[in-house]
Amino acid sequence: MSRIIIDGLSFALPLFIMAIGGIYSERSGVTNLAIEGLQGFGAFVGALFVVLTSGTQGTDSQVIFYFAFLFAMIGGMVYSLLHALLCVKFKANQVISGVVINILAMALTAFLTKQVNKSVFNQPSDKFQLGVSSRFTVPVLSDIPVVGAVFTNVYPFEVIIIVVAVIAWFVLYRSRYGLHLRACGDNPHAVDAAGRNVGKIRTVAIMVSGALSGIGGMCFAYSISAQFSESIYVGYGYLAIAAMIFGNWKILPTLGACLLFGFARSAGYQIVQVLEKPSSYSDLVMTLPYILTLLLLIFFSKYNRAPKALGEIYDKGKR
Amino acid sequence: MSEEYIIEMRHITKRFPGIVANDDVSIQIRKGEIYALLGENGAGKSTLMSMLFGMYEPDEGEIYVKGKKVHITSPNYATKLNIGMVHQHFKLVSNYTIAENIIMGMEPVKKVLGLFPTVDIKKANEDIRKLSEEYGLEVDPTQVIEKVNVSIRQRVEILKMLYREAEILIFDEPTAVLTPQEIEFLLQIIRNLRDSGKTIILITHKLEEIKQVADRCAILNRGKIVDVLNVAETSTKTMANLMVGREVSFTVDKPPARFGETVLDVQNMTVRNQDNFDVVKNVSFQVHRGEIFAIAGVSGNGQIELADAIAGLMEVASGRVMLNGEDITHMPIRRRTEKGISYIPEDRQEFGLELDFTLRDNLALKSYYKEPFSGRGGVLRPDEFEKYGQKLIEEYDIRSGQGTMTQVRSMSGGNQQKAIVGREIELQSDLMIFVQPTRGLDIGAIENIHKQIIAERNKGKAILLISLELDEIMNCADTIGVIYNGAIDKIAPAETLTMNQVGEFMMGVKSK
Repeated sequence: MSRIIIDGLSFALPLFIMAIGGIYSERSGVTNLAIEGLQGFGAFVGALFVVLTSGTQGTDSQVIFYFAFLFAMIGGMVYSLLHALLCVKFKANQVISGVVINILAMALTAFLTKQVNKSVFNQPSDKFQLGVSSRFTVPVLSDIPVVGAVFTNVYPFEVIIIVVAVIAWFVLYRSRYGLHLRACGDNPHAVDAAGRNVGKIRTVAIMVSGALSGIGGMCFAYSISAQFSESIYVGYGYLAIAAMIFGNWKILPTLGACLLFGFARSAGYQIVQVLEKPSSYSDLVMTLPYILTLLLLIFFSKYNRAPKALGEIYDKGKR
Repeated sequence: MSEEYIIEMRHITKRFPGIVANDDVSIQIRKGEIYALLGENGAGKSTLMSMLFGMYEPDEGEIYVKGKKVHITSPNYATKLNIGMVHQHFKLVSNYTIAENIIMGMEPVKKVLGLFPTVDIKKANEDIRKLSEEYGLEVDPTQVIEKVNVSIRQRVEILKMLYREAEILIFDEPTAVLTPQEIEFLLQIIRNLRDSGKTIILITHKLEEIKQVADRCAILNRGKIVDVLNVAETSTKTMANLMVGREVSFTVDKPPARFGETVLDVQNMTVRNQDNFDVVKNVSFQVHRGEIFAIAGVSGNGQIELADAIAGLMEVASGRVMLNGEDITHMPIRRRTEKGISYIPEDRQEFGLELDFTLRDNLALKSYYKEPFSGRGGVLRPDEFEKYGQKLIEEYDIRSGQGTMTQVRSMSGGNQQKAIVGREIELQSDLMIFVQPTRGLDIGAIENIHKQIIAERNKGKAILLISLELDEIMNCADTIGVIYNGAIDKIAPAETLTMNQVGEFMMGVKSK
């Protein structure tokens, strides 16, 4: 039981932070399918920083660990500017832009990884080895039955995520910028009439999305993957989008959706282990979140309310 | 430069591709007056005011505000000059509260824990409650926009200007979306605003409103100022003639009706909306050849759904619709058209037109697949489209920038409406359904459309007219049915009812 909670949380929270990024972008009216690519590119930049500073064998240094996240954020943010440029500046189709960014990220980071490995480390390798982040257990609290699992074997990044998520919630719902951002997703003309720059607001929202996706990608690189390679692109970005949609583009319900995905996945693994099935069954478990997505889609779609102006290109002249 | 005028626009000219929207227009507005701009659709009223509000810049001419020459380059700058505008299409965030909409861009801020700046929504609510009481615009600042009606939304737009301390308030066709009672209320508010020292510019084509509130009135025709009048000394008749540029008759000549056989027979029809709610309840009526059957009702009582169901846009839940004795209840829309239904829908931009197509394509939208537009093998013949387009443009006086090749989106609302009316009448269907055919049109165009409707009736067509304008119904109808809450409780020959009686049935005060 406690394993389900521990693993579930460490999967759900990175998903959550990416989904919050998605919420920022989409509540500002820009469809963001690029989360998958953004998290991959962010993780690439973070991992690149790690291997350049501490070699290919990974490190236990806490300083490097935190800087890796900082660089992942910057990486995701810079890469997301591409989406902002296409969608806001050039008024391109947002779905196409997102998909292209995903494909490009995959190809680009694979290529760069190989190049860096070859030229810097003289090794023909297509991955950056990172190792798994160290974990900590909170004394006393972890002794509480059942709930104690939440405080056991915690990745440091889970704490980072919770702090960032609280700030993100506060900015979105309480600050002036948040008010303008959410208005952009409903009626950008109203924002324009209020004398605010819709393009700027949306660009910043997309950059936030890129930064938060970068955090998410780095988490996966430091936990499930233990490396940066193409294996980072297994669709967690899309899962975050699904969580955001089930969460109705609101932060707290989205957390619920992420936890559901996380626990479904970890519970599945536990069942496979308890039943002592061969490892091929764990591949089946990997499909659980996606099957769950399909099922939820059937039931939740009709209650969903996407931001009104989502995906609409903002054109001042058009009434 | 005299200090007497708060706004002066001198020799303004503005050109758009293919059209001169404003041609050497000069107006002078005094502080504290209600100044009306009267003109037909496309006469250039909105364009002129858009320049004052910084949405366009004039090609030629100068603007003076409070005696100073200004270049108004953006709405932002106009706001700084204390100019505010209520647009025809409201610019509101539908899932925000009234207060949030009003303060957006100028939010009061408070610091949480003395550190994090947040929007002080409590103060905003209070400020707005005070502001709305001050001007008699009662609104509850905590209500969400999508839950309140059009008239409240308009008040929010007015409050937005007042919150930004506007002194010059521009209203673009403010009454087009309101019911008679709401119009009364709005006009009173406009008077109050003037009395508290604001300057009001009212864009409209409704003469009675001008007569009721305006001090002076500039009349525009085809981009030029025709005259500037003192409203108190001028009759509505004179204003109407100046605006249209010819004699206008307010009543329509209508020979007595001669009913023929039944064309449309609606039997116990019930229609449900998406939420499975009965919006049309067990309605029965007949429309005969040579009859104008008008359905009167306050907006939102099921009349739109009724028309949609007959035209095939909505599913009929129970009951039957018969056309010339044939059951068409579940017939596809194109077959209904071919059997003889013309439909002018309420929402012309959504259902009536393909806005990004050219005018000529739109005019052929219901017959493009037939001879002569379409040859053997389904190849379209552009020259036939062109010929037909030319013909309709001439017959129905559709004005546009580039003739048949004009993109419909760029046309004014009135001309879009003329295009639909022309297209539908040309189908020569036995049954013609007109929903709000004159919405947003000026009196010249209204007169024309009414004449056309009556001409079709005289030719022996059956006409179903659905309108929110009581005047229109009283002017045109042979038979009146009043719809209230989805049911038609009263059907009577038009001459047996007075306007007041119909109004009472519409409010559900009287039944049977």
